[in-house]
Amino acid sequence: MKKFLALVLALTMMVSLCACNKGGESKGSDSYRIAMITDSGDITDMSFNQTTYEASKAFAEAHNADFAYYKPTEDSNEARVASFNNAVADGYNVIVVPGFLFASMIETVATDNPNVTIIALDVSAGDFSAGYQIPANVVCFTYQEELAGYMAGYAVVKEGYKKLGFLGGMAVPAVIRYGFGFVQGANDAAKELGIASEVEVNYVYGGQFFGDSDITSVMDTWYQGGTEIVFACGGGIFSSACEAAIKVDGKVVGVDVDQAGTIESQYGVKGLCVTSAMKGLAATVTSTLQGVFDGKWADYSGKVTNLGLVSGDDASLNYVQLPTDTWTMTNFTVDDYKALVKAMYSGEVSVSNAIDAVPATDITVTMFDNIH
Amino acid sequence: MKEKTPFLKRPGVQTALASLLCAVLGILIGFIVLLLMNPAHAAEGMWAILKNFFKYSNNTKNLMYYFGSTLVKSVPVILCAEAILFAYKAGLFNIGAAGQYTVGILACVYTAVALHWNWFFALLAAIVAGAVWGLLGGIVKAFFNVNEVIAGIMLNWIGLYLTNIVLGRETVMDTTKSETYEIVKVNPSGTLPGFLQGLFGGNQYMTIAIPLAVIIAILIKIVLNKTTFGYELKATGYNKEAARYAGMNAKRNIVLTLVISGAISGLAAGSYYLTGIEHFKIASSVPGMGFNGIAVAFLGGLDPIGAIVAGLFVEYITLGGQYLNTNYFNPQVADLMVSIIIYLCGFVLFIKHIFNKNKASVGAVNANAVTDADAAANEAAKSAIEKTKTPDTGAEKEV
Amino acid sequence: MEDYVIEMLHITKEFPGIIANDDITLQLKRGEIHALLGENGAGKSTLMSVLFGLYTPEKGTIKKNGKEVKINNPNDATALGIGMVHQHFMLVDIFSVLDNIILGAEPNKCGFLTKKEAKKKVMDLSEKYGLKVDPDALIEDITVGMQQRVEILKMLYRDNEVLIFDEPTAVLTPQEIDELMKIMKNLAAEGKSILFITHKLNEIMEVADRCTILRKGKYIGTVDVNKTTKEELSTMMVGRHVKFAVDKAPANPGAEVLKVENLCIKSKLHSKDAVHNVSFNVRKGEIVCIAGIDGNGQTEFVYGLTGLDDIKSGKIILDGEDITHKNIRYKNTHGMSHIPEDRHKHGLVLDYSLEENMSLQRYFEPEFSKAGFLNKDKMREYSDRLATAFDVRSSEGAKTIVRSMSGGNQQKAIVAREMDKDHDLLIAVQPTRGLDVGAIEYIHTEIVKQRDAGCAILLVSLELDEVMNLSDRILVMYEGEIVGELDPKSTTLQELGLYMSGAKRDRVKEA
Repeated sequence: MKKFLALVLALTMMVSLCACNKGGESKGSDSYRIAMITDSGDITDMSFNQTTYEASKAFAEAHNADFAYYKPTEDSNEARVASFNNAVADGYNVIVVPGFLFASMIETVATDNPNVTIIALDVSAGDFSAGYQIPANVVCFTYQEELAGYMAGYAVVKEGYKKLGFLGGMAVPAVIRYGFGFVQGANDAAKELGIASEVEVNYVYGGQFFGDSDITSVMDTWYQGGTEIVFACGGGIFSSACEAAIKVDGKVVGVDVDQAGTIESQYGVKGLCVTSAMKGLAATVTSTLQGVFDGKWADYSGKVTNLGLVSGDDASLNYVQLPTDTWTMTNFTVDDYKALVKAMYSGEVSVSNAIDAVPATDITVTMFDNIH
Repeated sequence: MKEKTPFLKRPGVQTALASLLCAVLGILIGFIVLLLMNPAHAAEGMWAILKNFFKYSNNTKNLMYYFGSTLVKSVPVILCAEAILFAYKAGLFNIGAAGQYTVGILACVYTAVALHWNWFFALLAAIVAGAVWGLLGGIVKAFFNVNEVIAGIMLNWIGLYLTNIVLGRETVMDTTKSETYEIVKVNPSGTLPGFLQGLFGGNQYMTIAIPLAVIIAILIKIVLNKTTFGYELKATGYNKEAARYAGMNAKRNIVLTLVISGAISGLAAGSYYLTGIEHFKIASSVPGMGFNGIAVAFLGGLDPIGAIVAGLFVEYITLGGQYLNTNYFNPQVADLMVSIIIYLCGFVLFIKHIFNKNKASVGAVNANAVTDADAAANEAAKSAIEKTKTPDTGAEKEV
Repeated sequence: MEDYVIEMLHITKEFPGIIANDDITLQLKRGEIHALLGENGAGKSTLMSVLFGLYTPEKGTIKKNGKEVKINNPNDATALGIGMVHQHFMLVDIFSVLDNIILGAEPNKCGFLTKKEAKKKVMDLSEKYGLKVDPDALIEDITVGMQQRVEILKMLYRDNEVLIFDEPTAVLTPQEIDELMKIMKNLAAEGKSILFITHKLNEIMEVADRCTILRKGKYIGTVDVNKTTKEELSTMMVGRHVKFAVDKAPANPGAEVLKVENLCIKSKLHSKDAVHNVSFNVRKGEIVCIAGIDGNGQTEFVYGLTGLDDIKSGKIILDGEDITHKNIRYKNTHGMSHIPEDRHKHGLVLDYSLEENMSLQRYFEPEFSKAGFLNKDKMREYSDRLATAFDVRSSEGAKTIVRSMSGGNQQKAIVAREMDKDHDLLIAVQPTRGLDVGAIEYIHTEIVKQRDAGCAILLVSLELDEVMNLSDRILVMYEGEIVGELDPKSTTLQELGLYMSGAKRDRVKEA
């Protein structure tokens, strides 16, 4: 994750250098003040919120801009609106909000505060009320999580794992896309290897974005029942999967960012996190903020952008990817990965982003009831 | 001898003073915590909490809106406090208020979202559900002599899981958001009628729940002080045996008290969830509202009107936490501060006790002048000796 | 020069607006029993609280063995060897006798209790002073008299030299009182000095060497007991002459009001009946007294009669109506008045005001409530009327919280309430318990007035004087049964004692 961040930072600096070259001195540091609001989680989730927070903060520091984050008093739209108003009252005018739950907040506040720029991550058009026109001061980003999930599922089956698990957080669209992508990837890899009858996926949602003893005990059942690797997909929920995994030498797959480093250092088990299905949150935050600071808001204004693959040749430019810097897999190599990306970019491999039903597969997918 | 009790020695005034002192003490200790965390910005942080929504003073709409929000969010905790103090007057510690509140949520959310009931009936459903939960506790207490605290705690959990199961059904639960559907969207008639929304910056959550809470408080005050039922209830609370001796029906009163207390707890849930401000999420622990109600009841000096003031104060402080600058204090500090202040609220009785210590003449009075002091001396000697000699000092004396 | 172990010289203790102790001197000789006599509220407790370190006096000095000492808190007093047996015991019910005695001074080695040695010391003490106890019994299982012994042993265990007994006989049976008197004499003979707070003159005459009398915070005098009389002491205490005998005309019984037939009540302690096969009647205009040593079923009997507890079998007939299975409210409103044994447990809601307590039996009547709402004005009027009629004194009138009233006035309030309400039968259980001479005289007079007004009165008493003076007929209860019916005019205290102790019994008479 650190490397990914470093990469982002380097990218940012490059972009800002470019901006200088063009002669347009960024005056953003005086007029723009950046704030972030969290949804139900906290900025210490080692995942979604934390990445957004760190990227925003790093950007603010690099540009000498004020930065603060606001944690609503409770998990409700009313409280998120209150945090927004609070931030605006404090003089912040660029607000980064990660999570689809912010859709209602945006509907409530955006038009009343036309001078405040809102950057919403993971918020899609479908999250708003029907017919809602996204105002000019808002930009929304979604990710093709199904692609990242597909890559992870494909990779681990090719690597030789046959008994897989998927542990989602809450059954929100992004998590479902990751999960269904993962299932499709595993399915395709298994078919290619001709072992579709041997590959199994256990599939469950924890119902929350953090681990607890109930979830851990479900994970224990899985791992002790033969599950080799679990895609822990949702904020801090990976802790339950990891706790169960280390008891039987199992593995996990990280999410959103490259979690190999944090997971390894937290549990002291090398190679515990085999790979991570990443989406370029930090890159999005950084480049969008840069755009704002550079006066290029028009490029973003009122749009909902669905980020996914942008290059078939250079996988590192994509908004969904696997981490190549911390690559640990041996049967499925970085080159295999690049070939996969190429095939996906070219359309040779297509991944469904439907979330209404579990994808039809040749492998066995066992759906469990939500834990909470 | 016939002269009036001095102002400062009136029980009501003492309670108010003790509550005020608790609040001030809580704020002071909170401030010390802030000082320890970040000395440079402690004063600013404390000021932010206390200043609260008045930070919008240059924006009347927002100011009134968030004043309104504080009122809206105070309603359930005030009503829970009313429920608890009502039972407490009858000598019952209704820790089950939390569970009665929870089933209140179950009833009003389910009827409003899944059955599309009108707000009036949904609110009524919440009241009935709370009352039934109170009845269950009351029956085991009255007829099987099960301690109401134990029964209450068990019923809290049963209520929670029942609510999780029923409200987890897809007819009410928006699975993509993992919370119940917005009432206003699926059933606009299910939300409570508005109340002075225009005055409060268009706050759509301002509903009749607010005047209702005040009416309930006044009603409870009247019932407790002016009716035979309240008279029996308090007599039972102060001295169960004497109440029996006087022919009062203790069992009926226990059951009735818990039913009413439960109904008020249920009403608390209805008057909050039916505003649409909050949606139910599957929870792994019982909502804290019923427990905060205990603190509020005590901070309010166990007086129905005092509970309103105390509830507003607690909610004011709770909501004040969000105004702490997160660059200097992490958000958990705000929660910690609030908890400390609420925690100290429980010390009202203790502080009252300190007030009255060594004030021999207070309350202890008799026909002949000397007896005053003597009776008090007697009383003081008793309690002092109790403290020095035996561990079973009567905590019950306090209450 | 006399050998004084404790001297309290010119003690003055003021409370705002009140001088509780006004220049009081009390000198306690080594090895004497010194009585401290005064009515409720005379300043006895304040003086003892000063000695025990609970109050610091404004003026005056305290000397121990001739040396001036400062006593600032109870621990100082304990360190000086001063111990107190309080009227209400400070014992942990669920602990054993031994555990209670060593509580607060637990013998230990490295934090572990060493009870064996403690037990030996306790047994030695109990042998030496004739205080028989079972060290392993639980407090809740032993009698009040036994509990008091435990309190005394607690003081002895701590090697106290000066023992204060605060109205120790208030809760004891006559036999237990005799025992206690013996124990006190033993203690004095062994060199302990005893301060004996009381307002019972008989006990002073029997046991004390000297007596100091207080009245309304003032020092009245110290007298040698063997040179004075009961009458002289009571005059010094009350400030006027007090009659000890109750003035009453011979009874003139009328129609039967209460009839009890073969009443049996289960015991909560053992499998035997607490009340067995009790039958008797009470007629208009007579005082029938149930006498007996405490714990012989009187309490259970009254609980059963009034409805506070269930009865096993038998019949209760009031004014010709079978009320056996009626509830308390029904009995209360159909002719039964009840002055309960324990005024704090049953008789009063201590945290209620006087007016609220005065209407405790009537608040639901139309006079005091309409459509569920109380009529506070009526309650106040009623309370004021009763307070005037029965001389119930309180500082703030009807608004006074009853807890702050003196025991005598609390009892008068109950008596007023029960006597004023419409009734044909008055059940008075130990109506003068713990009261001073003046209050006793008053309540006795009122009971006789009730009788003469045609009320049937069932008196339950442990005080032999009361039994002999007040009743028209005596029923002796022993182990839950009526073992004899006596005529107070023709019987003697000795004969009554024999019945009460079970040494003599008649066939149970058909009433």
